[in-house]
Amino acid sequence: MIRLEDVSFRYRAASERALSEVSFHIRPGELIGLLGRSGSGRSTLASTLNGTIPHLARGDLQGRVSIAGRDIRGQRPRDLADTIGFLLQDFEAQLFSTNVALEVAFGPENLGVPRREIHRRVDRYLQTVRLEALRHKAPAGLSGGQKQRLALASVMALEPQVLVLDEPTSDLDPAGRRDLLEAIRGLRRERALTLVIIDPETDEMGWVDRLIVLDRGRMALNGTPAELWAETARLDALGVKAFTLARMASALGLREQWQDPGQAARAIRAAGWRVDDGAANSLRRADAEQSEGEVLLEVEDIHHRYPDGTDALSGVSCAIRRGEFVAILGQNGSGKTTLVKHLNGILEPTSGEIRLLGQSLRGQPPSRLSRRVGLVFQNPDHQIFAERVREEVAFGPRLQGLSESEITARVEEALEAVGLADAGDLDPFVLTKGSRQQVAVASTLATKPEVLILDEPTTGLDHRELQGMMALIRRLNRAGHTILIITHAMAVAAESARRVILMRDGRIVRDGPTREIFADEAALLTMGLTLPPVVQVANRLGIPALTLEELVGCLTRTPERLNGRTDERRSQSP
Amino acid sequence: MNLFLYLDRESPLHRLDPRTKLFLLLGSFVAAVLFFRPAPLLALMGVLLLYGAMGRALGNLRRIWFLLLSIATISVLTWSLFTRGVTPLVWRVTWEGLAYGIGAAVKIDSMIISGLIFLSTTKTEEIVLGLIRLRVPYQAAFAFSLAIRMVPTIIGTAVTVTEAQRSRGLDLESGGPLTRLRNHIPLLVPIFLHTLRNTDQLAKALESRGFGAHRERSYYLEIGFHAADVLALTLGALVLSIFIAIRFTG
Repeated sequence: MIRLEDVSFRYRAASERALSEVSFHIRPGELIGLLGRSGSGRSTLASTLNGTIPHLARGDLQGRVSIAGRDIRGQRPRDLADTIGFLLQDFEAQLFSTNVALEVAFGPENLGVPRREIHRRVDRYLQTVRLEALRHKAPAGLSGGQKQRLALASVMALEPQVLVLDEPTSDLDPAGRRDLLEAIRGLRRERALTLVIIDPETDEMGWVDRLIVLDRGRMALNGTPAELWAETARLDALGVKAFTLARMASALGLREQWQDPGQAARAIRAAGWRVDDGAANSLRRADAEQSEGEVLLEVEDIHHRYPDGTDALSGVSCAIRRGEFVAILGQNGSGKTTLVKHLNGILEPTSGEIRLLGQSLRGQPPSRLSRRVGLVFQNPDHQIFAERVREEVAFGPRLQGLSESEITARVEEALEAVGLADAGDLDPFVLTKGSRQQVAVASTLATKPEVLILDEPTTGLDHRELQGMMALIRRLNRAGHTILIITHAMAVAAESARRVILMRDGRIVRDGPTREIFADEAALLTMGLTLPPVVQVANRLGIPALTLEELVGCLTRTPERLNGRTDERRSQSP
Repeated sequence: MNLFLYLDRESPLHRLDPRTKLFLLLGSFVAAVLFFRPAPLLALMGVLLLYGAMGRALGNLRRIWFLLLSIATISVLTWSLFTRGVTPLVWRVTWEGLAYGIGAAVKIDSMIISGLIFLSTTKTEEIVLGLIRLRVPYQAAFAFSLAIRMVPTIIGTAVTVTEAQRSRGLDLESGGPLTRLRNHIPLLVPIFLHTLRNTDQLAKALESRGFGAHRERSYYLEIGFHAADVLALTLGALVLSIFIAIRFTG
């Protein structure tokens, strides 16, 4: 179906090749997962498959790419549109129609599909992505997750033989993610569909036929998920997340492959691992001993109605204490971002009160509040404007009217904190997405706010960048910063936040210690939130663990099973 | 937040063929440029408001009232100050100057309102389809519709960028004119770069979805002239001829 022979590509003005002598063959109906850190060539490779490269991106393509026997050199993407559907990573830019139905109809219209057939496809694929109720809505008014599903439906409506999806679930909440993958599986049950999917979440890739891992433009690994299961060390070295359950198995010294958390829990018990009640209790105690600081932010029964009449918040109350690390979770459109925009004065509540150290925020402009409540927006490219990283970070302190020496000191300190001490003189736009995100955090840090709020700080980052970003945020929290993050990545919340606020339909439905809330898996599922594999296994074993280290620390092997050895052997941390 | 003007509603205007509405739009422009006196222009605006009410489109006036008011104020002020007349009112302002200013204000606002009613009741895809039936090439018609769509997209980016920079302490309200101008650089750079990148992505997305692949393109929407269109065009022609008659008879 797809054949690559010695394919290399160098973008014009780039010194190094983005792809380097890549060769492989994808059979009809095969399902391929493409992994690799950012900059490894994943998106470039995907772009060659429908001829976007070389036809719409300048550079030097060598080797041969053929789709269904046709060389892409002779075919523009539009000529291949009925053969290969391509969902770009930046889904916002792909939507331009007046309403949802017309968006889906656009592709088939271009192919000259008869009107009745277009109507059938619009109905069919809107149903597949569960947007049929919104068919008359304007795409611009949809939530991020809905837009992503719409972009997918509009590609599916071309009914191609091959679908290439570049990070199709990056902005989806866990339920939306599950729905979307289920929709794709459903499609594959109906007809032969070759699928190439890029997704940094290895744990979601267990169902593909074959995984291809790229590294610096070269193919580093190529095998079935089962073959790559135990390759945790090699995947780590390539900057790609290894299967969580595989890491768990190897930490417990087990050489098995587990399909799901239920099987993992049963296998762990069967191998003789038992819960160490002492260790489990000490985890619970450690939480209770967290010293609570004074109340910094107090939100009292706030409501927010947008000018078009939608109620984004309907009675939200909560208090944030000094030194806390809070994660706000909830489905797309549940009001998370609207809530945090109230905390630094960007939005004013329609009714209700917000107080910072007892003082009402009403009437205080964000330009002044920003020194005390720092808000880092989701996309760093919405704020980076300077030609030097140093200048970018100095922007906030300079607006505060600080002296030049104080500004320099703060910039250096902030860059040091985010790990960009050497990048001060670089142009922010040559940095990777992960580093640009770090620049955005640094530029807020430099204003020394009392509370640091981050909206989806890990979206679009690869595994290693994500780990780096979260380590940074935890470090800041340990250094005394009060942290509030909005996230869809449940593992991020589990590993970092000590408290979780769950939002739904503009209300807070749960608010408490992460350990307590994540123990109630059924309640979270009804809200469309799926726990990370580690917590799912821990829950099945009755352990209050949130990380792999905690889980392993709470397990002990029964002595009699260890070939007659009588001393109790505690497991070591991985 | 939806920044697009189209209102998804049921109304007689929504059901009209886009070409009919395009002709009525042009007719209203012709009527507007015929006059300089306020009286017939106010009558035209009255007719337009009635037309807009039929299309349940006047709610959108709330979104552009500031623009309409600014244009009206500037035009009344400048024209009444700089137009010469014979009947003095106060200082150097004359009755004639004031009347001319009001006339100009009503004229420009009427044309804007007419355009607003058109965009509030017609999907861009219908406009494209209408233009094609009027023998405009598809590529040109689509480019025109994309231009209409770009405006709200850029505004949306601008809103987000402004929020992000205000969150970093940017104060857009205070300072002298030069300071204010300088304060906009942190907004303009990200908006410009973001829009540029969006355009590039859009080009790729359009190609991937087969834009321009076949000479014969099909259409999801159906348009056609019905009895209501004939009625609307007849009424429109009648009103326009009345305005022309007024212009050339007295």
